[in-house]
Amino acid sequence: MSRLAQHKTSPITKREVRIGDAQDEVCPVCKSSRYLTPSLRFLINPECYHKMCESCVDRIFSHGPAQCPIPGCRKTLRKARFRAQRFEDLQVEREVDIRRRVAAVFNRREEEFETLHDYNNYLNEVEDITFNLINQIDIEETNRRFEEYEKMHEQEILENASLEEREKVAFRDAKKAERDLAKERRDLARKEEEEEKKEAEENKRDVLNRLAAGQDAEKVTKQGQQVTLKKRMDRQAAAERQRLLHLSDARNGSSSLIRGLKAKVKAEPEAPIDPFGGLKVETKYFSVQDDYVWAGVQETKADVLMGAGGYDVREFTTRALCDAFSGLGVFIGEDSAERERIGVDEKAVGTITAERGVKRMEAAS
Amino acid sequence: MTQALSEDDIYRTSTQYRLWSFSPDALASLRTKTREIAVERLRRSSEQQAARNDEPEVVEYLTEDEELRLTQRYCDQIRSTSDHLKWPVHVKATAVQYLKRFYLSNSCMTYPPKEIYKTVLYLASKTEAIHITVSDYARRISTDPEQVLAPEYKVMQALRFTLDVKQPFRGLKGVLMELLNLAEGLVGAVDGADSMNGDEVKASMLQVRRPPEGNRTQWTPPSSGTLDGKHLNDRIQAAYSAARTLLDAPALLTDVYFLYTPSQILLAAMHVADEPLTSFYLSTKLPISLSTRPQILATIHACADMLAAFDQGAVLTKDERTALEAKLDKCRDPGTKDLIKAFAAMRQDGMEDGKVEEGVAQKRKAAREKNERDGDDLFGPSLPKTNEGSR
Repeated sequence: MSRLAQHKTSPITKREVRIGDAQDEVCPVCKSSRYLTPSLRFLINPECYHKMCESCVDRIFSHGPAQCPIPGCRKTLRKARFRAQRFEDLQVEREVDIRRRVAAVFNRREEEFETLHDYNNYLNEVEDITFNLINQIDIEETNRRFEEYEKMHEQEILENASLEEREKVAFRDAKKAERDLAKERRDLARKEEEEEKKEAEENKRDVLNRLAAGQDAEKVTKQGQQVTLKKRMDRQAAAERQRLLHLSDARNGSSSLIRGLKAKVKAEPEAPIDPFGGLKVETKYFSVQDDYVWAGVQETKADVLMGAGGYDVREFTTRALCDAFSGLGVFIGEDSAERERIGVDEKAVGTITAERGVKRMEAAS
Repeated sequence: MTQALSEDDIYRTSTQYRLWSFSPDALASLRTKTREIAVERLRRSSEQQAARNDEPEVVEYLTEDEELRLTQRYCDQIRSTSDHLKWPVHVKATAVQYLKRFYLSNSCMTYPPKEIYKTVLYLASKTEAIHITVSDYARRISTDPEQVLAPEYKVMQALRFTLDVKQPFRGLKGVLMELLNLAEGLVGAVDGADSMNGDEVKASMLQVRRPPEGNRTQWTPPSSGTLDGKHLNDRIQAAYSAARTLLDAPALLTDVYFLYTPSQILLAAMHVADEPLTSFYLSTKLPISLSTRPQILATIHACADMLAAFDQGAVLTKDERTALEAKLDKCRDPGTKDLIKAFAAMRQDGMEDGKVEEGVAQKRKAAREKNERDGDDLFGPSLPKTNEGSR
C-alpha cells in the first residue's frame, strides 16, 4: 500500500471531467442541451459522481432507488442524495466530500495529545486514510479501519463535535460584541465632538457678552481661552481615566470581549548572542574612552566613506589599546621555564572552546 | 560559564607566545643545537665525498656568530627591499620575523639567507594582505618567480605553519592616542590606579622633567621656560616618532621579539625615546599596589637597554657580506643546492616526504622520460595505445 500505487477503477474517467467541453452542456442521459433548454440544471450523486440533468433525476428516481443510467455504472442511487455540483472538477468535488466525511470522524484536537509529535503522527495516520479513500487504494481495509475507529470512539467524536459547535457560537458572539463595542466608541466620539463644538460656541458667546458689558477686552479674551483650555484638559483626563479602567478590566479578564483565553506567560527576553561561548575580555591596564583627540582618530571619524560601510573608529581604538597592553604582564623567561616545569603541552593552551571539545571527545570515548 | 580573560591571557593564547618566545638561554641553546646538527650533516657528506675522491678536504664552517650576523644582514636587506617596494611597516616586521624564526631551526649553511629572504618577504606580503602577483613581485625585485616560490614550502614548515606575528606598531598608536588624551586632561579609568581628575593630570604632565641627554626624542623644551598644551603635544609626537624609528631598526634587527612581548617592546621604545614621559604614563597605568609592577618595569628597562645598545654600524657591510658568502659557498650543504629543481620535482612527482609511493613516482617518471625521448623523433611521439577499440 503506497501512495504511489496507481488506482485502477476510478468512478470518473478523465474524459468525463473535461472542462468547458460541449459535453458539459449536454445531459449524458437524455441528450437535451443547454442551447435548447436554458434552465438546464445538472445534479450529481456522491455515490458515483455521474452527472445528469434535473429532469432525468426526477424521471428515473422518483419512484424509489434505481440504477445509475450511465452505461457501465451499476450503482444504486437515491433521489434524496442528488445535489448540485459545487466544484467544476468532479475529482475535487469527490475529494472534498471524502475529506469532510473523514474530518467529521477524526476530529481529535491537539490538546488531547501529550506531545506535538503524537499529534503529528495522528494527523499523518488520518491523512493516510484520507488518501487511500480518495485514490481507492486498499479500499476495503481502509474502510474497515475507518468504521472500526468510528465505532470505538463514538462518544468522543460526539463530544468533540459539540465542542466545536460551541466554539463556533462563541466566536460568532465575540465578533458581534466587538462590532457593538466599536459602534459604541464611534457614537461616543461623535457625541464628544458635538459637545466640544457646543461648548466652544457658548464660550464665544460668553466672551462677546462680557465685552458688550464693557469689560477689559484683553483680559476677557485671555480668560475665555483659559476656560476653554481647562475644559479640554478635564475632558482629556476623564477619557484617560476611562481608558485605564477599560484596560484594567481587560487585564482582570472581566472584559466581555473574549472569554476563556489562556493566561499568557510573558516570554523570557532572549539572551544576547555570545559568539565566544562565555569568554569575556576584562581589561586590566586600560579602559577605552569614547573619544580620542588624536588627529588620526578624528579624521577617520569625520570621513563619510569610512562610516558608510558601518565601520566604527572605536573598533580601532579598542584594538590598538588591547595591542598596547596585551602581554605587558607576561614575562617570557620565567613563563617559559614554568611552562616546561608543569609540562603544559601546546594542545592544552588552546581556546576554551577547543578544550571543551576535547573534554567532550574524552567523555564520548 | 563566564570566564574573564585579561589582555595578558589574550597574548598567552597566541602562537607567538606558545611557539616563538624563548628565554635568552633557551634561544642560544636552540641556535647552537641547530648549527651542530647542520655541521654534523655537512661533515658526513664531505666525508663521503672525500672517500670517493680519495683526497681529504678540510672545510671551514661558519661560526655561530657569523651565521647570526649574516642573518641580521639579511633582515636589514628585507627592510630595505620592503621600503623599496613602498610596503607598510607591518609587512617588513612580519618578513623579518619569519626569517629569524626560519633560522632558529635551519642553518645558514643548509639554506643560505640569500635564497630565502625573497620568499620570506613574499610570504609576509600574503599574510599581511598586500596583494601582488608573484611575477609582478619578481619583476620588481628583478629575480626569477621560480626562485621566490621554490623554498616557500620549506619556509612554511620551518615556521611550523604559524603565520601570525604580533607587532608593536598598532599598540604604539594606542599609546600615542592615550597620551594625547591625557594632555587634554581626559583620563580613562584604570582599576586600582590612583585616579586623578583631568586638571591634575594635565598639570602634573606639564611638570614632567625634560628628557635627559641620552633620550632619542628630537624635542627640546621652549627657551621661554613656560610650557603649555601645544608644547606638550609636540613632545608627545616627537616621542612617538622616535619610538617608531626605534621599533623599525633596532627592534627588528635584534632578538627582542623572541625575548619580550610586543607591549613590552613598544613601551621600551617609548622609554628610550622619552624616559620621563613614559614613566609618567606608566604611573597612570600601573598602580603602586600592583604586585607585578616592579617586574614589569624591570622587564621594560631590560628591553629598553637592549634597544638602546643596538648599533646600526654593527650590521655587516656589503664587502663583509661578500666575504662571508664566499666562505659560505665552500661549506654549504650540497644536498640543498638546487632548490628550484627540487621544487619542480616535488611538483611533478610529489616525491617529497614519501607523499606518493615510490613505485608510482618512478612509473610516472619513466613515462615522462620516454615521452621526452620520443619527442625528439621527427614525427613526434607515438599516440597512446587504445584497448582493442580500433579494430
